[in-house]
Amino acid sequence: MAETSTARARPRKRVDRWRWAGRIFLGLMLLYTAVPMVWMLLTSIKSGFAAMQLPPQWWPAEPTLASYQKLLDPQNSVGADFLHFFWNSLIVSTLTTILGVIVAVPAAYAFSRFRFPGRNFLFFAVLLRNMFPAVIFLVPLFILMRWLGLVNSHGSLVVTYLTFGLPLSIWLLKGFYDNIPIQLEQAARIDGATRFQAFLKIVMPLSVPGIIATAIYSFIGAWNEYIYAYTFLNRNDQLTLPVGIQRFFSENTTDFPGLMAASFMMSVPVVVLFLVLQKYFVRALTEGAVKH
Amino acid sequence: MTSVTGQANAPRRPGPARAGTLRNVWQHRADYAYVLPAIVVMLIVIAYPIYYTVDLSFYTTPPSLQLRDKIFVGFDNYQAILTSEVFWRVTWNTLIWTFLSTVLSFALGFATALALHRDFIGRGILRAILIIPWVISAVAASYIWKWIYHSDFGVIGAILVGLGIADRPPNFIDSVGTVLPSLIVVNIWREFPFAMIMIMAGLQTVPDQLLSAAKVDGASAWQRFWHVTFPHLRNVSTVTVLLLAVANFNSFIIPWIMTGGGPSNASHIWITHIYELAFGRQRWGVASAYSVLLFLILMTIGYFYVRALSGDKKKDREA
Repeated sequence: MAETSTARARPRKRVDRWRWAGRIFLGLMLLYTAVPMVWMLLTSIKSGFAAMQLPPQWWPAEPTLASYQKLLDPQNSVGADFLHFFWNSLIVSTLTTILGVIVAVPAAYAFSRFRFPGRNFLFFAVLLRNMFPAVIFLVPLFILMRWLGLVNSHGSLVVTYLTFGLPLSIWLLKGFYDNIPIQLEQAARIDGATRFQAFLKIVMPLSVPGIIATAIYSFIGAWNEYIYAYTFLNRNDQLTLPVGIQRFFSENTTDFPGLMAASFMMSVPVVVLFLVLQKYFVRALTEGAVKH
Repeated sequence: MTSVTGQANAPRRPGPARAGTLRNVWQHRADYAYVLPAIVVMLIVIAYPIYYTVDLSFYTTPPSLQLRDKIFVGFDNYQAILTSEVFWRVTWNTLIWTFLSTVLSFALGFATALALHRDFIGRGILRAILIIPWVISAVAASYIWKWIYHSDFGVIGAILVGLGIADRPPNFIDSVGTVLPSLIVVNIWREFPFAMIMIMAGLQTVPDQLLSAAKVDGASAWQRFWHVTFPHLRNVSTVTVLLLAVANFNSFIIPWIMTGGGPSNASHIWITHIYELAFGRQRWGVASAYSVLLFLILMTIGYFYVRALSGDKKKDREA
């Protein structure tokens, strides 16, 4: 009896030590992650004068929402621009997401189910796209877009953004389809469905979580993209948020509260979207990418 | 064996082996319809630019965007790059940037995922907060940190002065010695959550029965981790490290927005340098030659990436 109790007590002490180390570590990581975001929020509710005081106002003495009011006021030129950029980002990201799903779903399904010649080659060619930096493609794509008449249009961005989203979307979805038992489709085929009907009616509904996950990924990628938007768009009324905010900053180099408010507003949609749907994302990674 | 059966079958086959492949393709023609849209988009946006970049790397262009007036110079651009001092400076920066960002993001993400694995009150909220830096735009992140590092009004400088560690706020991103590490801190801030998510997903595939069995057998927490958990995470770790390495090698936004590569090239990495050569100084030929060199490096990494991915699949099927 005495022996078993000491044997039990020792591992528990060790576990506690690990647990405490884990808690301290998580506390430090929380500080690292949260302090910059908290400072962004605190700065955004200061006046321009209060933001530039030494020593800094750790807590804003006179909190004000003036920066947010300015950004959201369509009567104000800054606000009109900001709302315009916001709308442009929303359109480009939404189109990219919808088209991305339409293109990725059948491709992933084919890579999972069919055994056509060149399948492996094509699959890895698609994955390789992620290897290359945007800069390499900028000049030729710029010339191509000019030839297609898409420079200074959101079309050029949508087409380009599609290609970053596709590799990971196809990869994740393929893993998802690999996990759906093929017997379900076979049963449908026996009941008289065509291959396409079986895909549409049986497989598609089962893969909705995977589709949601890839849609989030495409949307966030398009919302945050900077280099192509910076290079392809010149007209002020066409800019998306990342480029628009950069332009804002280059014109108002000392308006840090405004800059922080704009950064915050730009982050809200993607953060909310991700936090609401993150369980699908983690599930898709677990079922799709990691298990296989 | 195979050649014997091949010969035995040969007379019965209607055509040579090439026709067999074509027929195989033809029989699967409906399959291609599913992948065609993806392939067409990828071809336009990859194959053509690659061809164009390789071609342009052998030309020099007048200092304007009149690319029609380019002059053939052979390998001159490549020679100019490999003999320039900036090249080696930028390459060294890129290596440090990629290595430190990848290793530290992965280590922090891995440790955070392990620490978050056990359930406790507030775990969901904590995990959500830790993921946010990965979700927000790198442009927003760059401005947030630019403000935090500000040489007069930055909050870190103010804290250091307030604690009496420094007399005056340090120049984090305005001085040659500290700029690269300061930018790497920002990059890790944005990237460790990705490693964390991947490892978290990997941890869910570790069978609970194995862990409890090991516990019953008296394995310590460390032994359980090392002998049970870690082997299950090996594949996902490989993929994560490769994805991080490629992403870091291809970074652009953080150095570009925060410092533009300065001061005196101290924070230029390959991509920002190529961008500046092309769009800043209009030296398209040299920028293209840089891009081709980059291709070659990335193809080498890509080879291992594909092998890691397909290796996982094979092992899985055998199991």
